[in-house]
Amino acid sequence: MRFLYLLLIFLFAFAFACGKQPLPTETLVIGIESAPTSFDPRQATDAVSSRMNGLIYNGLVRLNEKGEIVPDLARSWEILDSRTYRFYLRRGVFFHDGTPLTSGDVRFTFESILDPATSSPHRSTFEKIDRIETPDPLTVTFVMKEPFAPFLVGLTLGIVPEQRTSQSQKALAQAPVGTGPFVLSHREEGDTYSLSANPEYFGSPPKLRKIVFRVIPDNTVRFLEMRKGTVHLLLNGIELDYLPLVRQDPDLRLVSGPGVNYSYIGFNLNDPILKNRTVREAIALAIDRKSIIRYLLKETAHKATGLLSPLNWAYNGRVKTYAYNPAQSRALLDEAGFPDPDGRGPRMRFTLTFKTSQDELRKRITAALQQQLKEVGIGIRIRSYEWGTFYGDIKSGNFQLYTLSWVGVTEPDIYYYIFHSSNIPPHGANRGHYRNPEIDALLEAGRRETDPAKRKEIYGTVQAILAEDLPYVNLWYYDNVAVFSKNLHGFVLDPSGDLFSLKDAWMEK
Amino acid sequence: MFNYIIKRLILLIPVVFGVVTLVFFLVHLIPGDPVEVMLGEQARAADKEMLRHELRLDRPLMEQYRLYLTGLARGDLGRSIHFREPVLTMITRRFPATILLTLAAMFVAILIAIPIGIVSATKQYSLIDNASMFFALLGISMPNFWLGPLLILLFSIQLGWLPVSGMGGVEHLILPSITLGTALAAILTRMTRAGILEVIRQQYIVTARAKGLAEKKVLYKHALKNALIPVITILGLQFGALLSGSIITETIFSWPGIGRLVIQAVNQRDYPLVQGCVLFIALTYVLVNLTTDLLYSAADPRIRIGRGGQA
Repeated sequence: MRFLYLLLIFLFAFAFACGKQPLPTETLVIGIESAPTSFDPRQATDAVSSRMNGLIYNGLVRLNEKGEIVPDLARSWEILDSRTYRFYLRRGVFFHDGTPLTSGDVRFTFESILDPATSSPHRSTFEKIDRIETPDPLTVTFVMKEPFAPFLVGLTLGIVPEQRTSQSQKALAQAPVGTGPFVLSHREEGDTYSLSANPEYFGSPPKLRKIVFRVIPDNTVRFLEMRKGTVHLLLNGIELDYLPLVRQDPDLRLVSGPGVNYSYIGFNLNDPILKNRTVREAIALAIDRKSIIRYLLKETAHKATGLLSPLNWAYNGRVKTYAYNPAQSRALLDEAGFPDPDGRGPRMRFTLTFKTSQDELRKRITAALQQQLKEVGIGIRIRSYEWGTFYGDIKSGNFQLYTLSWVGVTEPDIYYYIFHSSNIPPHGANRGHYRNPEIDALLEAGRRETDPAKRKEIYGTVQAILAEDLPYVNLWYYDNVAVFSKNLHGFVLDPSGDLFSLKDAWMEK
Repeated sequence: MFNYIIKRLILLIPVVFGVVTLVFFLVHLIPGDPVEVMLGEQARAADKEMLRHELRLDRPLMEQYRLYLTGLARGDLGRSIHFREPVLTMITRRFPATILLTLAAMFVAILIAIPIGIVSATKQYSLIDNASMFFALLGISMPNFWLGPLLILLFSIQLGWLPVSGMGGVEHLILPSITLGTALAAILTRMTRAGILEVIRQQYIVTARAKGLAEKKVLYKHALKNALIPVITILGLQFGALLSGSIITETIFSWPGIGRLVIQAVNQRDYPLVQGCVLFIALTYVLVNLTTDLLYSAADPRIRIGRGGQA
């Protein structure tokens, strides 16, 4: 018994030692699914890190809610010729450590990304840079090796200060120094990350005193924290089954809006069955996207016509679409030489393996797709793997069908990466081995062309050809869904899912 | 006794070596590539190669294994591939939270199980006995991932007494430790009850009663001590189960322990981190078992270990 008492005393002492103070009301608490991986924008790629870094750092430019490029640290820029971009920096911008922003910092940021020693995942975005010139402290000129239009979007990447990072690259990931409206003030690794307002911010100073990001991995618990009022904002972090409960709760607000995350079914075009375009069209016609969006996605998605969403400046809506039509699908399969052996009976025309991750919603969607394809006589073996294995298989081309999403689709040059024949793995994302010389030529022209109108035309054609060729079945664009406390004001849902609007948001006491 | 402890500690070396070897090859066998996960697929092949080289992943597996062992001998668990931080730092930062949760769960289990077990045994087949055995069955059958949210719904949302998740004061510890400890409590209740029922029929208890001792004294002084020996053994063995169960409980309650770190590390194919975490868990398990064995002999003087007596 004495042992028990000792244990009790020890536990209480230990628990008190770990105790925390209650949060003041000017604090906004955001629930996140996983911890950010890096506070160095040159290293981070995951959504959580990008959202937090978006509040700590500024890029030369940023994307507005329409996906257009607008000034950020650069007050203006000019394109001197198709290979030369000149940026004029804002005056009076200071990093969190008090040093002023200069063109040297900009040059340093991109040169360090290009330095192989940094092993930055963003290096390929900037590899067309030939040199960076800094004629004066507030002017920076990028000279490209060849015309490369997607370059501008890449400049949304956060600018880091030169002095600090030359001392130690690791220091920045640990104690980030940016120019943004918030400063990372406290962190409990893997648990909570607090950002405090930066009163010296060059724009209007933030109204919130503090933003706390809390890692809550469990979907249900994240929602329960929200209901209890201990978390004030969830962005795309809510289980869709809980949406009816959110609507009933007078203390919560629900906002959803179109997003730029695109979901699709990928085909392996080396597969003897799937290389037949008629079969792919039959599969596209057999899928009832409307029902899935309604019953499984709770109306938080919109049917997709291609990678680029209607929000994108280069979007082309006049492409071939495939409305649900099982009868036509069956006819096409017969025509393609795959008759149904026993009519509507249990035997299938052929059976395909469909790979997916272990995400619950994904698995349910795949099961629905399986059912729909069964209706037209296509058997589906579902294989759901833990993420590392699934992704490994997809990358190595070890699949027949799979379903995945492309997130944050803003720059149409993404088509080059996914469908250009030079990007067939191991060196790209053309995982289905799609080859079309016409597409190759258009995509090469698209990245060289700097005139937006001409680019729009090029990518419009690309979208039309791909809708015809069907290397992917377009499923849907996911909406961004935000649930927040009724006390939070001024939060604006951004299509890319960034949190920059929090700079002007406030909490009612 | 001292020699015995030394001997057991020396025996730890092959166990640890076995664990390290097994885990090393297992994590390298699972498909997936940490470099791909980390750099993302947009990265250039040359950059991937460079990182692979930096992380020594381009070397033959046996050489990686040798390097890992050499590092381990120096107390170096390597650096996390994903977080680029020393694994030891990451684990030591997280490990106290896991230990706290596990101990608290154990404490909750003991606190519930032993009194209920005693009452059940002394009032065999009574309503209390039947009810507690029913709840014990329920406790064993209820998975953590279900019990946790249920407790949160009741105590945090409906009643508003306790926080939903996270680590903070004592109030944050209550729900996770009950969630984690319930299954153990159920097992211990049944063990205590069975133990007492067995002991209570022994002749020395009859003798104690014949001496005219009060029933309370017979129970607590004579019966309980002997009945608890198997309970102690089970406690040691179950500590391992609690440690692995904490992975789920930590995820539910956003508890910043090592369990969540393991899940993340496995998903990201962060080899050094997985190896380090598993090594730590295994070591703890082995050490706790050793302690249990020592307690066991202390609780029962009939057991004389290492002296040719009965074990």
